[in-house]
Amino acid sequence: MFKRLMQLLNREQKSKSVAKSRLQLILVQDRTGIDEEIMESLQAELTEVLSKYFILEREQVEMELEREQDSMALVANIPVLGTKVRHPIEA
Amino acid sequence: MGKVIVVTSGKGGVGKSTSTANLGTALAVLGKKVVVVDADVGLRNLDVIMGLESRVVYTSMDVLEGNCELDKALVKDRRTKDLYLLAASQKNNKSDIQPEQMKKLCLELKEAHDYVLVDSPAGIEQGFQNAAAGADEALIITTPEVAAVRDADRIIGLLQNMSINDLHLVINRLSPEMVKTGDMMEPTDVIDILSIDLIGVIPEDREIVISTNRGMPSTYNHKSDAGQAYKRIAQRLEGEDVPIPEFKSVGLLGTWFGKLFTWG
Repeated sequence: MFKRLMQLLNREQKSKSVAKSRLQLILVQDRTGIDEEIMESLQAELTEVLSKYFILEREQVEMELEREQDSMALVANIPVLGTKVRHPIEA
Repeated sequence: MGKVIVVTSGKGGVGKSTSTANLGTALAVLGKKVVVVDADVGLRNLDVIMGLESRVVYTSMDVLEGNCELDKALVKDRRTKDLYLLAASQKNNKSDIQPEQMKKLCLELKEAHDYVLVDSPAGIEQGFQNAAAGADEALIITTPEVAAVRDADRIIGLLQNMSINDLHLVINRLSPEMVKTGDMMEPTDVIDILSIDLIGVIPEDREIVISTNRGMPSTYNHKSDAGQAYKRIAQRLEGEDVPIPEFKSVGLLGTWFGKLFTWG
């Protein structure tokens, strides 16, 4: 009940939180020097390579640089519909 | 042998010169031998903020060109013992000075002073490169705003590339009221993002405008919150353990309760 009340009161995100998360995103790009264009070509090339092994849902592929505290991660979400590699035992 | 500290920010208008003037004064009041150097060649303003503009005769350019001895170019601040200003030339460009020359000048200055505070121009171009060339340490000034913090991050990267690794952050113009209501980033937010050592927080203070009008750094004013905050930074630079007052948001319920209490 109390928790619910808190949630209700804090529903609208404070502007300082917006500022902080915007900054975190901006700095990921600033620090790596990787812009939108490079990310797009990286995504295209990676999708190409992965397509040799998997059947992908290409339109749904998402790739993003994310920052957690001191480290950075390339987070990718690549839906796989099936595999193109045959099981070796069959041969 | 003293040390050279460059005061820098990347973004303009966040309070570099005001901070240089106030910290220089505060350190001198503590009994240190201090020289503040205006490195903003072509657009000088530290002399005005210090209230010493009428007494500037020679500039750092005159020293570099051999027109006068270094000692002769230092303007003595008569209000405090051992506080000097080395002004920037108004007639020259930032590209008229090379980093090597600045380095030599800083080296000479720190032989005779405990602190050499170099007021950097805004930007990341040659003016900044010159200002930082002779620095042992850096004070990075930012305000709790997105654009200023972003530029501070850029400057931190550049300083580290120059092998200046002793970096301290000053958060300037923080409004305790806005932090309380969650409408301004609090010091921990800024530290989370920049991950460098915080050496002080300067609260927003109308007194800064008034003291700049008069050419009298706020450090002299015991009633000025900002002036007192600068004094505490000077003490921390001197290695004293002076805690930084906390500025935090209190959440909606907190503010309501807070208001109830103040009304009651």
